[in-house]
Amino acid sequence: MSYALIVSEVRRGQFDERNLDSIGFANLAGKAAYLLVPQGDYAIDKGSVDLIIDTGLTESAFLNPLVMVDAITKVIDTAGMPDLIVFTHSSSGVELATYTAGRKALPIITDVSGYDKNEAIFYKSYYSDKVFGQFRKAKEGPVIVTVRSGSFREFVSDRGKAADTKALEGISGSVEGREFIEYVEEAKTGVDITKAEFLLSLGRGIGNKDEIPVYEELAGILKATISGSRPVIDKQWLPKERQVGTSGKTVKPKVYLAMGISGAFQHIAGMKDSDCIIAVNKDPDAPIFQYAHYGIIGDANKVRDKLKDILKG
Amino acid sequence: MNIVVFAKRVAATQEEELRITGDGKAVDLSKIPFKMNDWDNYAVEEAVKIVEAKGGTVTAITIGNQDSDEILRRAIAMGAKDGFLMETVEVSDDPAVRVEAISNLLNKENIPFDAVFTGVQAEDDQFAATGGILAGKLGIPYASMVIGIDAVEEGHFIVRRELEGGLQERIKVKIPCVLSIQSGINEPRYVSIMGIRKASKVERKTFKFNDYRAGQEAMIELVRWSYPEKKGGAKILTGEMDGICRELLGILKEKGVYQ
Ligand SMILES: Cc1cc2nc3c(=O)[nH]c(=O)nc-3n(C[C@H](O)[C@H](O)[C@H](O)COP(=O)(O)OP(=O)(O)OC[C@H]3O[C@@H](n4cnc5c(N)ncnc54)[C@H](O)[C@@H]3O)c2cc1C
Ligand SMILES: Nc1ncnc2c1ncn2[C@@H]1O[C@H](COP(=O)(O)O)[C@@H](O)[C@H]1O
Repeated sequence: MSYALIVSEVRRGQFDERNLDSIGFANLAGKAAYLLVPQGDYAIDKGSVDLIIDTGLTESAFLNPLVMVDAITKVIDTAGMPDLIVFTHSSSGVELATYTAGRKALPIITDVSGYDKNEAIFYKSYYSDKVFGQFRKAKEGPVIVTVRSGSFREFVSDRGKAADTKALEGISGSVEGREFIEYVEEAKTGVDITKAEFLLSLGRGIGNKDEIPVYEELAGILKATISGSRPVIDKQWLPKERQVGTSGKTVKPKVYLAMGISGAFQHIAGMKDSDCIIAVNKDPDAPIFQYAHYGIIGDANKVRDKLKDILKG
Repeated sequence: MNIVVFAKRVAATQEEELRITGDGKAVDLSKIPFKMNDWDNYAVEEAVKIVEAKGGTVTAITIGNQDSDEILRRAIAMGAKDGFLMETVEVSDDPAVRVEAISNLLNKENIPFDAVFTGVQAEDDQFAATGGILAGKLGIPYASMVIGIDAVEEGHFIVRRELEGGLQERIKVKIPCVLSIQSGINEPRYVSIMGIRKASKVERKTFKFNDYRAGQEAMIELVRWSYPEKKGGAKILTGEMDGICRELLGILKEKGVYQ
């Protein structure tokens, strides 16, 4: 039977929403969905998949590629080779998927955000979504994919009955090569950008650190809170707590004013549900304009200075 | 501690128009400036920092055409001892092909390493796959999205890797291993023109990529390029700067965030 093996993600006792994209992708590709899960009593929609395979592993063992490659091997030994092995394109999903591809010598396509069933074409982002590469398998056989969050959840469907659960016996959760020690939570200090109604968000396009105080001045007049994209935090122009995106915070302000931000999906994922998105970017093709409600094509620093002039009147 | 670090020369396309040419067969990069992949800058810095503290050497390797030599000079200016170019006119779209060549190079040339560092992802193809496939193929431990190396101890690293939304996991990884380094882990040092010039005097070695590819064929193929699907998009404010900014303030008022 042709099936997709879906390696699920459970974080802090929650079945992650990203799994819906993996399940949706399996549906779109027309494969039975076999869901590989860790132990735990998280909620899971059993009608959305065809089989649940319980590894008995802890949530943290599920983060370990050395452990998971054994679990996947065991599934293959018992259920046969799947047509697809599906992971989410997240921090752990990418890690597990690529390591599995290397160990099993299987092809892999990461960050898949579209699929054309007729041609069996996988769409993969290049250059932060400026263009997409359309991939296909060079030979028949299984392929590993990581799917972009938000891309396929609309294809999740209800089977009308709850899937059976099968236990996968004998997988050891501990290996010598890599051991989990603990989760580390980012210290909660300072401003909480998730509470702000108006975010003035700065990206690499503003140029350099010296521009920050000038933006802070504008934010002061507008009563806006400053946030930023990852590079701005990486370069220490702004503190970590101000970062918007998958590895930062998810925000939903009334207005999100993005200046000099290109719109990589890791950033978009953290702000796309804002009521009103306004983007200032000098590149008319910047992906952020696809998500914004209003756009200004121009130099962010000039827009900033003009706004200040008008406001100081 | 010997660390092999991979660094790629990539097109800096953020501010450039990208044009697909030849009926979807190619992306025109001819007018676009190139630079070291951002993530690799952090990877080289982390490798050099560790070796400065613990002793050992850093070997920088790049795969590309002759122009990629500039990446090696930069890595050497940052503190790498050796620079190896795996020369090829065209790099395959399939990361598995480069991993085959990399692992054969490491083996056949007896390049000793305690750790291989890569960047988390290349800015151009965003595969985020090279380090993981390599570790899997070599059968050694792997950790990606490494945002902190807390300790380098006898036989292992203690590292923190980034999950989502500010959550990290701390893990112990046995040496030898592959680590993929996340941006923001350190502050890459400044490289001066003088530094690069000095680095040019250090001999770099060239290996022919195809000699190490071992006949590995691509398992996936990129059949054509396309532009992103337009999603409706923004209403673009046009006119004079003054008018645009007044319109912007009007929107802020209408949304109730500014009086
Ligand atoms: C695992 C992982 C997690 C990540 N997590 C996050 C995250 O949480 N948040 C996040 O933001 N990113 C994250 N990223 C990084 C993400 O992929 C992008 O690299 C990043 O979002 C780009 O930031 P940017 O838009 O500021 O910079 P760039 O992509 O460099 O874009 C700069 C933009 O500024 C424009 N510009 C240049 N000059 C001007 C000017 N004078 N005026 C106006 N515009 C100008 C350019 O046209 C360009 O569009 C993550 C990446 C990985 C791999
Ligand atoms: N052509 C290349 N030359 C050198 N290193 C590379 C090359 N391609 C990928 N890498 C390394 O692998 C990492 C991940 O690349 P990728 O899997 O293409 O996203 C990069 O950050 C580099 O460290």
